[in-house]
Amino acid sequence: MISFSGTRSGRAPLTWGQRAIWDAIRRTAPDDHYFNFGRVLEVPRGARPASAAHVSRGIGLLVERHEALRTLVGPGPCQILHDRGALPVRVAAGADPAAVLAELSATAFDYEHEWPLRVALVTGGGLLSEDEVTHVVLVFCHMAADGLGAEQVVRDLRLFLLRGALPGGAPPQPLDLARWQESPGGRRQAAGAAALWEREYRRIPATMFGLPSAAEERPPIRRAALTSPAIDLAAQRLAVRHGTSTSTVLLAAVSALVAEVTGHGTVAVLPIVSNRFGRDTRTAVTTLSQEGLFVLGTGSGTARGTAFADLLAAARPAVLRAYRSGYHDPGDRERIAAETSRERGVPIHPYCCFNDMRFTERATDHDDERIRRARSETSLTWPLSQDELNCRFCVHVTDAARISVTADTRWLGTADIERYLLGLERLLVEAALR
Amino acid sequence: MLRERLAELVSQSCDGEISAAEALEATVPLSYLGLTSLAQMRLIDTLEREYGVEVDLGGDIAFLDSVDGLAAWVSAAR
Repeated sequence: MISFSGTRSGRAPLTWGQRAIWDAIRRTAPDDHYFNFGRVLEVPRGARPASAAHVSRGIGLLVERHEALRTLVGPGPCQILHDRGALPVRVAAGADPAAVLAELSATAFDYEHEWPLRVALVTGGGLLSEDEVTHVVLVFCHMAADGLGAEQVVRDLRLFLLRGALPGGAPPQPLDLARWQESPGGRRQAAGAAALWEREYRRIPATMFGLPSAAEERPPIRRAALTSPAIDLAAQRLAVRHGTSTSTVLLAAVSALVAEVTGHGTVAVLPIVSNRFGRDTRTAVTTLSQEGLFVLGTGSGTARGTAFADLLAAARPAVLRAYRSGYHDPGDRERIAAETSRERGVPIHPYCCFNDMRFTERATDHDDERIRRARSETSLTWPLSQDELNCRFCVHVTDAARISVTADTRWLGTADIERYLLGLERLLVEAALR
Repeated sequence: MLRERLAELVSQSCDGEISAAEALEATVPLSYLGLTSLAQMRLIDTLEREYGVEVDLGGDIAFLDSVDGLAAWVSAAR
């Protein structure tokens, strides 16, 4: 156990980000371990040998510094910050860190009673002493952190191990964010975002995948993961050629292909937005990311007929609107969805999301031959199946050459999922080679 | 002064990918030099805080692509 003793305790409403994850968790239960995620930190050379006691002290300091790591869900729901407690730590001698990570991620958190961070220290192995820590495994409850928040925790731990102290002051905490979001400034932000949702919800198609597939699998949720160096190279070339990011290139291509598959001329995709555009929130450890609303008119409904340049020209301002709509009050969004659904006589929800999980991206130009040759390295696997998901079609970019689709086969069968991913590769490669 | 300050903000928004001097002298749109949509959003957030203005993302946002465009926009919006 690691005992910790922070400077304050308190209670506040959920922040917008916490509320968004909470809703997603409730809709996905009992498969909500889906939202757990983790990181493995290899103890840096300059910090070795590191004893279990020393690493544990660092983790204790992190939990004291980042209040999200000692915040639980309370009735309402609300967030309850505890000032003190003890965090269980597992010591796994000679274990495979990836296996420990998978094991610690496999079960849902007890959101009201369990600290939102699971820790294991991998020790020993080979010639090392049994007490020497080689890897730290951290599994996060998504209520406490998103990918960038977790990255900050890992960075802080690394710095502690190298320097023996944590630099700088603490970033804003979930309790402070919740209070700001209720202030006049927060309400102004919410109103700006709500206006974007409201405008689009009156005109977008009711949903993206609205026709039953007649190809339901058991269990119905399936994930296909495409490993494609060609997509990476093609997206980089398109980003350089058109003066944009590979993230925007991928979002535009994903949207164009959704248009092609579904026949919708206007496509609505919910990209996960980091909501870390302000200087103060960039290093906050909390779950800030939320869905934004990206709406793209693809004209005829087919990607082939539209030049990629035109698609990107339309995508650029649409991406900024999506970014702004991301930092919204889920209560506003729920109200807008209910109102527009009533007015239009059909439930409005895109059920189509896009999550670019990369922390950094690079784009350089590559020649035709290299892109062409890379296509032979493409492979596809089916790494996940489960019963429940709060969406019908989720695209994840885990690294530049790995893109997955997690879909509800009641709306898009496995053959179509595979066709979609290979079609995405073809669209990007053809556009890059043009 | 306004142009210099805006060039600094452009540089900060993209973590120095473009220097303030490069932003001032740019002859191609800033997005081609590395001002990505993420950096544009940081820039918008900073502009709104520093100048007390609001950027309407429903309108034309071509002004984000040059320091002169930004300066003209800020001068008109203030």
